[in-house]
Amino acid sequence: MRAEPVFETGTHRWWVLFDQDERRVIDSNVYVVESSGQSAVLDPGGFEIFPQVLAAVAEVVPPTSVRKAFVSHQDPDIASSLPLWNACNNNIQWQVPGLWEGFIRHYGALDAEMVCIPDEGGSMMLGDRRLDFIPAHYLHASANFHLYDPEAKVLFCGDVGAALLPPGHGIWVGGRRGAESVRGFDEHIQHAKYFHQRWMPSNSAKLDWIDRVRQLQIDMLCPQHGAIYAGENVKRFLDWFEGLTVGSAIAR
Amino acid sequence: MNIHRIMAIMDASHRTRRTIEQSLREIDRRALNAMVLVKRNGNTLAGYGVVAQAFREQAVLLKDAANPLQQSIAPLVRVYMQILQHEQFSGMFRRSAQATTGRKRALEFLCNSEKHWRRDIDAEEDEGVTILRQLIDTVIRLQEGIAEQEYVVTNGRIEAALSERTGAPLMRVSHEMGLAVTKVREAIWTYRGKLEEVLHESGTGV
Repeated sequence: MRAEPVFETGTHRWWVLFDQDERRVIDSNVYVVESSGQSAVLDPGGFEIFPQVLAAVAEVVPPTSVRKAFVSHQDPDIASSLPLWNACNNNIQWQVPGLWEGFIRHYGALDAEMVCIPDEGGSMMLGDRRLDFIPAHYLHASANFHLYDPEAKVLFCGDVGAALLPPGHGIWVGGRRGAESVRGFDEHIQHAKYFHQRWMPSNSAKLDWIDRVRQLQIDMLCPQHGAIYAGENVKRFLDWFEGLTVGSAIAR
Repeated sequence: MNIHRIMAIMDASHRTRRTIEQSLREIDRRALNAMVLVKRNGNTLAGYGVVAQAFREQAVLLKDAANPLQQSIAPLVRVYMQILQHEQFSGMFRRSAQATTGRKRALEFLCNSEKHWRRDIDAEEDEGVTILRQLIDTVIRLQEGIAEQEYVVTNGRIEAALSERTGAPLMRVSHEMGLAVTKVREAIWTYRGKLEEVLHESGTGV
């Protein structure tokens, strides 16, 4: 798994860990945010990729600096590593959608400290910075959140923006930090189309999310699968998503 | 396996790498400043010029020697985290076996499953020890490089003392270089100590 900086200024950093070595489970990105010596992992990943995720985390931050973990929803590729993280570092506070708490605890680690995020969202402090939980319900899980960093202008957008890319893929849509090309975006979005049509169930939830997200200042849109949309590609993605009909399994 | 010791190694590895990077940058900057001082003073400080050049070259060698440190830590973390995964399975079967009374066939199945995972864990622990030994070898090579660098520092101090009459602040430059090297040496010693603690704990000795 490779680590690449996403945002960096003083004591405030974002990294993405991507291109996992294990091919039998869906390829996932894990993000690490560091603020004034404290770190958070966003969608810390599945049980099977935990060894490589932790090795990659150790490249960018001291693992005991991890104080928070954000879980966007209940899926196994998001949070089934919970008992392993908890065995390594039981000082981690888990921020989870309230609706899913009892489900997530099925992964193990009954003693892990969980903080329930209410449906309307909220925020958490990391070091001296505030990170906001943005509701993204039904995209795709019925209780689902994204995480927004107003200072870095980065939105971690979970499964929204996800793409199924081949092994060895790059982490920026269109090349290095966006590269701002329409062609790069068009090529990438082909890999995202089926994912959104099939995994996203609700067109009205999609439009609600787009309205909410358009009010935020976003330089980077960071999904949990695939590649990061930067600069102009953020707007391109929102426009593309707006025009896409989702919920394809019943639309046929 | 003591997971907290492994976490301590990971933290120490991160800290050590940072210290080495910062100190080597510092060493390089100071050596460059010294070379500028030498140029300004013409042939009078030629001896110190040789030392400063050696210092820069040695810093590059140290940097190269430090690179495998991070490459070796990732496999170590991976193998210990696999052990952690498999201990979860093994523990689950052990607890289930303890809770099973009067059902012989189920008990046998659970005990065999636990044994299967235990065997995997034993093999992984052996692999972990091999990686740990390789990591310690890398650290030892790094320590040898630091000893060379300290030798250059000592020569620098001698040259600085001989050139004192020129008024160039070479004693201070040498002192600062010495401090940067000491910082790296101490970080590496602490790191080696932590690695050896885990190796001792694995029951194999050093």
